[in-house]
Amino acid sequence: MTDTRLIHQVGAGALEWLWAHREGFRLEPDADPETGFLERFKPVGELALICSVLFREGVAGSRQAELARRLIDHAWRDALDGGSMLVRGQRTEPLSPIPFEVYLPFRELGYSQPEMERAVVLNHRLDSWRAFETSPTRRLALSAFQRRFGLTPRPSEAEALRPTWLARTPEPWTVEGHIAYDITHCVFHLTDWGENPGGLPPGLADYVATWLPAWIDDWLDLERWDLLGELLVVDACLPRPTLDEPAWRAFAAVQRPDGAVPAIRAMPEGDEQEVFDIVYHSTLVAAFASVLATSRALTELARAS
Amino acid sequence: MEQSGTSTRLQAAVQDLASGVVSVLRDGDHTRAVLPAGTAEAGDLALAAVRVLGADAVLPGLLSGATSDPAEVAVFRKAVEAYPPRSDAAPTVRWSHWGMARALRRLDPNSSSGPPDEPDTRWLDDASWQTLTHQLAVLAPLALPGESCAVSRLAARRPVDVARGFVRAVRRRDWRQAAGAGRWLTLLPGVPDTLGLESGLDFVELMGGQDPMVTLQVRAARLTRTGTLV
Repeated sequence: MTDTRLIHQVGAGALEWLWAHREGFRLEPDADPETGFLERFKPVGELALICSVLFREGVAGSRQAELARRLIDHAWRDALDGGSMLVRGQRTEPLSPIPFEVYLPFRELGYSQPEMERAVVLNHRLDSWRAFETSPTRRLALSAFQRRFGLTPRPSEAEALRPTWLARTPEPWTVEGHIAYDITHCVFHLTDWGENPGGLPPGLADYVATWLPAWIDDWLDLERWDLLGELLVVDACLPRPTLDEPAWRAFAAVQRPDGAVPAIRAMPEGDEQEVFDIVYHSTLVAAFASVLATSRALTELARAS
Repeated sequence: MEQSGTSTRLQAAVQDLASGVVSVLRDGDHTRAVLPAGTAEAGDLALAAVRVLGADAVLPGLLSGATSDPAEVAVFRKAVEAYPPRSDAAPTVRWSHWGMARALRRLDPNSSSGPPDEPDTRWLDDASWQTLTHQLAVLAPLALPGESCAVSRLAARRPVDVARGFVRAVRRRDWRQAAGAGRWLTLLPGVPDTLGLESGLDFVELMGGQDPMVTLQVRAARLTRTGTLV
């Protein structure tokens, strides 16, 4: 079992870096229509999702909770211009699920944008939204988000789960990087990003618990920190997390003094915005893995005492 | 340079020997001798190659139970006797030699020597699943159907760990280790079905099969599994 303090410090450092580099979470209102205005929404949505986990778990400490709240506020007020950028995105591409996906975590934290509300409800009625072609894991995400929004998921989550890679429990030695991300995200959506570990069906939990150590070992060895961080999140979502000590030690050791976590091997060098674009995700994931693992470790301690 | 040349020649001799074993396993002609024949004069290099391959040098005879060519048994005996493990030898070296002594007893019922004493397995008591799998793969010649020893009993207690090691070896493209681990897994109870071992062995052979040391293990695993020769 890894030292809980070490796990906690990774998250605290990551959050300091995210706060210091919050300006990196920005949209490009003048983006070329060919590359798409919605392209840069993803980091903002991820930031909101993970900061909402930080609140929910309540183990991050008062400084971290405050930073998480301020980061979300910054994202809503500045990056999304009080939600009006979501509306603009939705008007640019009415059928795109991206504005909905970004809106949901803000909505769950009490932010509201009436026009987005109407758009989501309308889109949900459309057969076109249901028929929207996308990967099975993202389809599962959309169904889960519809449920969280208060709508009846179309298709149901059980139906959406079936064609995912993980649901078929295939040969574990075939897992490559992109499959590994499908696995981690499938677990995130099934567990509502770690809030509900019971959402992972027992058969899938057994499968993941059996093979996760081999995958963690592999991506630790390859120094793929972004993916390793997601796998550590998955570990924290299991009924019996291992809080893999070698992985956590290496993960903590690669974190820079300012809190940034490189995505692959070492920190890149170059223009600040370029560096941000490369490492914001791995640093967010570090905060996410840290808060969930800390929470699980404390639960285990409470149970043992 | 001299040493490097010797090492290269030994590797080539081991590969040739492994290819010979693979060929016999494939053709099913288990009466055919693999070891260099005529070989009261078998050279040092040939004997060293037999020692490196260990009990797998006589694998066709062990799996089939057929009567072995006395000349072949004589060469094998010579290799067993020529390379006793030193007192400071690594556990895998001691176990590999023990496996050869066991094989010799099977092939030569007239052998006067009693069953060799088993080395201990203390070095694996607290081994991580990674180390365990690596060491078991080195000792793959001990993975024989119907044969029990302290190493095989220890492996049987950790099927999930060996299965994880197989996954790790495939991901690292360490085909020799994957093939050796796969061979053990065909013998172990309690291997998770989701491993997909049979396809996994085919994959290892497809990807690493140009190395006869890999093919040898995969074929041994397959024969163990189907029981063709047993």
